[in-house]
Amino acid sequence: MLAVLGYPVATSIVLSFQHVKPGSGQFLGAWVGLNNYLSIFSDPVFVTALSNTLYYATVEVVAVVGFGLAMAMLLNHPFGRFAFFRVILLIPWAISPVANAVMWKWIYNSNYGILNYLLHQLGIINQYVVWLGNQQLALNALLVADIWKSLPFIALLLLAGLQNVPPILYRAARLDGASAWQTFRFVTLPQMRTAILICVVLQTMWALKVFDLIYVLTRGSPADATVTLNYLAYRETFEFGVFGYGAALADVLFLMMFVLALIYLRVFHPMSGAQQAGS
Amino acid sequence: MSRSVVVVGLVIFTAWTLGPFLWAVISSLLPQVALTTTPPDLSPTNLTLDNFKAILADPDLVKGLYNSTIVAASTAVLALMLGSTAAYALSRLHVPGSNRILLVVLATQMFPGIVIIIPLFIVISRSGLIDTYIALIVVYLSFILPIVIWVLKGFFDAIPLELERAAAIDGASPFQTFRLVVLPISLPPLFATGVFAFIESWNEFFFAVILTRINTETAPIAIQQFAGQYTSRYGQMVAAAVLASIPVIVLAVVFRKYILKGFVEGAVKG
Repeated sequence: MLAVLGYPVATSIVLSFQHVKPGSGQFLGAWVGLNNYLSIFSDPVFVTALSNTLYYATVEVVAVVGFGLAMAMLLNHPFGRFAFFRVILLIPWAISPVANAVMWKWIYNSNYGILNYLLHQLGIINQYVVWLGNQQLALNALLVADIWKSLPFIALLLLAGLQNVPPILYRAARLDGASAWQTFRFVTLPQMRTAILICVVLQTMWALKVFDLIYVLTRGSPADATVTLNYLAYRETFEFGVFGYGAALADVLFLMMFVLALIYLRVFHPMSGAQQAGS
Repeated sequence: MSRSVVVVGLVIFTAWTLGPFLWAVISSLLPQVALTTTPPDLSPTNLTLDNFKAILADPDLVKGLYNSTIVAASTAVLALMLGSTAAYALSRLHVPGSNRILLVVLATQMFPGIVIIIPLFIVISRSGLIDTYIALIVVYLSFILPIVIWVLKGFFDAIPLELERAAAIDGASPFQTFRLVVLPISLPPLFATGVFAFIESWNEFFFAVILTRINTETAPIAIQQFAGQYTSRYGQMVAAAVLASIPVIVLAVVFRKYILKGFVEGAVKG
């Protein structure tokens, strides 16, 4: 396992210190030291991409885990236990990200899209909005499409977590006269710690890696408003052919994900974190 | 929670979850004229399969569906063959560190594909394997196999040891026990895991964009190109997305019991 993942990562780090020219199947590298990393920090697109990435991941994780928990609690209620609700959740989960993107491309269409029509009918907007062509809105439009697709898995995961909470704890809370909020705060949340941690970690990783939606819906436009780090690394490497610089960007993203994973483990699992450090 | 809050919540939940896809399905069944009037003309007499007929006559889309079938089926079969033996070994043979497998699975999720694909692209280009099925299948296995091993290990762990002890007393070797006793009773979870591997590789886009060219373009690539090329053929564009979604939705719904058990509950229990 280490060899399978270790080799590409090591090579990627080596590449990031080189200037690589792809040509006729030969990739000849020349050492450039830290130059690729230095250019990253003087690249204005990198700053945009970094802030887009952080905004995107934060909103997506908070929204997906928050709404996911609400969905899971609805589905755990006696009214929500019909198989129908679980079956419809499988649709956003199963369809391909590209099909999802094309579907939202049609929903967001500025002339004939259903979103503009509905919002206009409801009096929320006065004139049709170009959702994917507006610098302030484009990234948020991608977020909504991504949240729709990501919610089911997280909701089902949290539902499984809820079903593992021993019912006796709820009975005890009721006997103690706890309010609905107190029961949620002092029984559900602590019992769901591990499940929520796993959701936060997985969803953060997925949000940081978003690619398909950007590629299909905006290609980073308008004016790089939807360029994330992952997309920028792809664009530099495979569209502009700057392999060394692309690898350096990818390594920055990898480092971010690695550090985040360590932080999450420390915050949510102080015990197991200490054990791992000791072993 | 009070009853009315739950009912309102479930209505919003259903509309949000079902709405966008339902609108895509309806749109795919309507002609261009009906979609480009305001409000959209939803009269049932308009319903037609013309959009689907048109896209099934598009050679690029048909080739994409064909390529996706080959790549996804090969990946699923290989993932099962390699994954089931590895998972059984981890479950029964006391391999040191096998309880850390969840960490390995999480680690594979943590690697951004871009970190892996840049060096791999160089290796694959040098060996002339760009635009071949084999390159795509190997890359897919590298991230699907850890998940398959982890889920199957969970299923194997739950099989009572007595069955295998009985086989051992009858003189069966560990491999015979696996093949004749464990595999037959694990068929449903094995099939469900195969379905998962199939869905993942059928849907994959990022590696396919980088590793495929004209010959092995998969369905997601073909759909994306179609939607980029014919931006105003709304019904056909959405029909292509719906068509490519039908097989995976059917598989997911049919095998939902095992998918929920293996992938969702497994993740919570670790």
